[in-house]
Amino acid sequence: MPILTDIKEILTGLSITFSHIWRKPVTVQFPEEQRPMPPRFRGSIVLTRDPDGAERCVACYLCSGACPVDCISMAAAEGENGRRYAAWFRINFSRCILCGMCAEACPTLAIQMSPEMFRCKRQVMDMVYEKEDLLIDGTGKDPEYNYYRHAGIGVVQPRGSSPGEQEPADPRSLLP
Amino acid sequence: MPKLIIDDIPVEVPPGTSVLEAARSVGITIPHFCYHPALAIAAACRLCAVKLLDGPVKGIQMSCSLPAQDGMVVSTTDPDALKMRSLVIEWLMLNHPHDCPVCDEGGECLLQDFTIAGGHSRRRYVGKKRTFQNQYLGERIHHEMNRCIECYRCVRFYQEYAGGTDFGVTGSAGRVYFGRFAEGALESPFSGNLVDICPTGVFTDKTGRFRARYWDYEFAPAVCQHCSVGCNTSPQNFQRELIKIVARRNDQVNGWFICDRGRFDKEYLNSPQRPRDPEIGGAPGEYRLALEAAANRISEFCLQNGAASLAFVGSGRLSLEGCLVLAELARVVGAPFCYFTESAAAQGSLAAVRLLNEQNAARVRDIEKAECIALFELDLMEEGAMLSLAIRKASLAGAQVFRVGGAREGEKHPLPFRYQEVATVDEVPFEGGSKGVVICGAGGKSPELLSYLASSGAKLVMLQPGPNAFGAALVSLERKGATLSDLVESGQIKAVVCFEADLPPWLLERVEVLACADWKRGGLTEKASVLLPTTTWVESNGTSINYEGRAQRFLRSRPAGLPLKGLDPKYYSSETEAVALHPPRVHRNYIPGGAEREAWRVMADLMLELGGEPVNEPLTGRWGKLRDLDPEGEGVRIYDLVSAQDLS
Ligand code: SF4
Ligand code: SF4
Ligand code: SF4
Ligand code: SF4
Ligand code: FES
Repeated sequence: MPILTDIKEILTGLSITFSHIWRKPVTVQFPEEQRPMPPRFRGSIVLTRDPDGAERCVACYLCSGACPVDCISMAAAEGENGRRYAAWFRINFSRCILCGMCAEACPTLAIQMSPEMFRCKRQVMDMVYEKEDLLIDGTGKDPEYNYYRHAGIGVVQPRGSSPGEQEPADPRSLLP
Repeated sequence: MPKLIIDDIPVEVPPGTSVLEAARSVGITIPHFCYHPALAIAAACRLCAVKLLDGPVKGIQMSCSLPAQDGMVVSTTDPDALKMRSLVIEWLMLNHPHDCPVCDEGGECLLQDFTIAGGHSRRRYVGKKRTFQNQYLGERIHHEMNRCIECYRCVRFYQEYAGGTDFGVTGSAGRVYFGRFAEGALESPFSGNLVDICPTGVFTDKTGRFRARYWDYEFAPAVCQHCSVGCNTSPQNFQRELIKIVARRNDQVNGWFICDRGRFDKEYLNSPQRPRDPEIGGAPGEYRLALEAAANRISEFCLQNGAASLAFVGSGRLSLEGCLVLAELARVVGAPFCYFTESAAAQGSLAAVRLLNEQNAARVRDIEKAECIALFELDLMEEGAMLSLAIRKASLAGAQVFRVGGAREGEKHPLPFRYQEVATVDEVPFEGGSKGVVICGAGGKSPELLSYLASSGAKLVMLQPGPNAFGAALVSLERKGATLSDLVESGQIKAVVCFEADLPPWLLERVEVLACADWKRGGLTEKASVLLPTTTWVESNGTSINYEGRAQRFLRSRPAGLPLKGLDPKYYSSETEAVALHPPRVHRNYIPGGAEREAWRVMADLMLELGGEPVNEPLTGRWGKLRDLDPEGEGVRIYDLVSAQDLS
């Protein structure tokens, strides 16, 4: 009898539905609740500090040059100890496609992709982040690297004392 | 003419051409560091290796120092040559610091380019890098010796080309050092060229230190507006601020270089003091209102006093476009116009323009090839510094140089060549005149004196008192301009309307200033009842004519408006935001302080207000031929467009 088969089919379907009603849901109430994301997830962007606590970014413009949607802008400046840094640094997240090119281009590991997910805002201007909003208090994914310890210009240590450098040579010496 | 084959392409070049230049002439760039077309050959870097497969010499050779010869078969891509070049770049990088992110050369660095081109990307050498201490070289040039690759370009330029004596090379073995004997500012007035010529970041422009990158610069071909030589430059702007000026090649004018004044004297362009908003009676107002106010003042004045007692005043700072439209504007009102304020300066400029023609006006090339050069009563390093390098070239090639009338008062720099002092120009032995050049300043010289100098039969350089004073003098002759001091002294003139003019105080006292358009402040802008801001050469398109009658086009390299750095707090959304370092978080559809316009456009707008025709194209009449002047070209001499002799 086809009617019996039909009832059976309906009941089977409903039983699946009912069995799922009592299951623990997989969805979370984002953004109140958040899931831990894998460390390499590209959720948002942060500017990190070196192990000595100073800003890593040297305002070299490589990230802004690499960004395919041109959403990073900044202005470089010179600190009194000769350190190059970003006077201001701005990312327009309403344009950012979270591609990670900036982090890949960065020679100082300053700009990094963070697994924390970026939130939407009602006002476009609220999506424009300044350096103050981007800078975090940690080293991000690399706890060791300090670019200025390797650069030759002698900002965090005297010239000629970076790893792999000789003492400054004396051009007036006649020794071989 | 040697015929050779480079990478299967047959090439024919003039005798003496290097293989490197021969390759360049067919579009093949052989990597090189020490070679520079303007300098003597050093063959110091060994990067330009090519392999000669057949012909008079064979095997790996340095292409920069190998003259092209008949029958050569050159390969730039032979595996041996490639290997040699990649090893050379690897050893040049042995001591190079890990600096690119904090180096101002980064992005415009020959070493970066050729390291990538040479395929060197991983350091194999495990030894330590040699380092140096830097020297303080003054407030304009930063020294970072660790980056040096010992190409010797800097010394060859500084000592041989520019005649400087306070900079050189010392040291032995792996300690070759390029600097001064003792720290201190570089003395040569051409020292800034070290920045351009060093292929790495040893010398960088301190005035633009740690500000921007090459790929973010806005630039365009420009012509230096500091003197009447008209050197070609490329201003580099970032966020509406001029960061650096670099030389642009023009073999007819400045070659590859510019003087330090042209390079470093740029603060006035970024100055927050520059007038940006129109002012009516001292209060800022809209452009349209200011134009109306100026037009009303002019009409009222003309009704009361007659148009003849008003003068329109320009100067040698105006572009050719400005000069031409000023004459039109004056014609619409029926008033006289002038580009020269004092008759002494005016008669010298006008006489020089009348005297010069295609044959006797000396090009820079003529100076370089001259056999006898007379400097007549001028401070060359002030009035046309780049010409001194041309004279030096001639002098090194054996020319005799004479200085008539001795050093001027207040000369800051010694002349970079040998010369003899003589009392009068008659003592200068011009032989037949064909290879002789007389160099003098035109401003303030009497026409009789200038024609006397011209009668020597030598070629002439008559330096003008402004970047486009030659153009102004030509237009003045063509359209019958007057001289302001003559008009004021005859009592005819009571008021002036000024466009980028400079009035001496005694003249300023004797006239009313109805309106003034300028990009800088001064006595005139203070006194003007209406002020209309104009753009400087960085924000304008225009044409200027240099001392030898060469018209050159310059282009706008950035939009008008205030630099983003140090923007006035009034453009921020709130007081608290203004103390932050970042730019305002406000959307705008205009540029703050961007109301300035090119002087000729201000004149055209004013003309429209006064009932004239609209001006769409400032270059009219015979000048129309200059409309499609190529800004990247060598410029054109104007003698076949207009001959000053039939203007007078
Ligand atoms: S993640 Fe991509 S789009 Fe976003 S700032 Fe970086 S480079 Fe630009
Ligand atoms: S974040 Fe990195 S790449 Fe971007 S400017 Fe700073 S140092 Fe350069
Ligand atoms: S000179 Fe060139 S290669 Fe060297 S640090 Fe500067 S940019 Fe990098
Ligand atoms: S300082 Fe620059 S120009 Fe001079 S030798 Fe070194 S790399 Fe060459
Ligand atoms: S360019 Fe030929 S050796 Fe340097």
